[in-house]
Amino acid sequence: MATTTASLTLTSTDLFDDSLSLSNTSTLHKAGTTIGLDQTTGLTKTYVTATQQFDPFPMVKGTTNANENGRVYIANLSEDETEYIIVTIGDLVIGRLYAGDFMWMPWSPKARHVNDIEITPSVATGMWVEFMAIHNFANIYPDSADS
Amino acid sequence: MAITAGITLTSAAGDLVTDALVLSTSTNLTKAGSSTSALTQTSGLARKTTESASQYILFDADDYPSGPAKAGKIYLKNTETTAGLFFTISIDTKTIGRIYAGDFAFLPWSNIDGTNDIKITPSTSASHTLEYMLFYE
Repeated sequence: MATTTASLTLTSTDLFDDSLSLSNTSTLHKAGTTIGLDQTTGLTKTYVTATQQFDPFPMVKGTTNANENGRVYIANLSEDETEYIIVTIGDLVIGRLYAGDFMWMPWSPKARHVNDIEITPSVATGMWVEFMAIHNFANIYPDSADS
Repeated sequence: MAITAGITLTSAAGDLVTDALVLSTSTNLTKAGSSTSALTQTSGLARKTTESASQYILFDADDYPSGPAKAGKIYLKNTETTAGLFFTISIDTKTIGRIYAGDFAFLPWSNIDGTNDIKITPSTSASHTLEYMLFYE
């Protein structure tokens, strides 16, 4: 069984009068089970040179995957503090990842184009972006260029 | 002032893929467009126990500064231990995904125009507990 773990820490010594030290570890399971997620898009690192929106992950082929489970990691590797990427799901803007920021969130794709995750770079001068999905979706795989 | 968030993803060789996965990164939570000016406001670390399968608003966008160039970060954790219990996470009317027992999420939040409420829907009407926190500017 595939065992993948995610650990998150949030720390601050001066946000509050008291210190913040939060730590969590989770094993990535298929929906409602203790069986590990066993598919991944692989960790992709790409250099984007346009402000055009793009889909970092293959699109859903089926009609619904709501009962399947997925996790998404996206990071903006830029070192220029003014550069950001806008992360969108379907037509909804989730938020911006500025230089060095990352996100880790669940993903339940539904019908094609409804819950696609999309990234829009803020500049066309070149930015490094990293992303990976870990999932057990039955209907997500790359399109053939001929189809 | 500094707030640091770190994430590590690991999987042994032969588990998820044939090679070992060890990914680790961290970042300081800062205001939009700044690498040095830290986020200064927070909702505080909170817990909510739900008693119905209705949708709940965790963060009402009207209560927070709006605008695309406002940085916000949200932390969510399902504290349940029964594998089948989950919360469905939504922003405004869009479903993002589910966090099952023990799962957590850490994501940016652009409260663009005061409509992007962060919402949760428990999987059952039994008692479910979620831990959550917002950092914002």
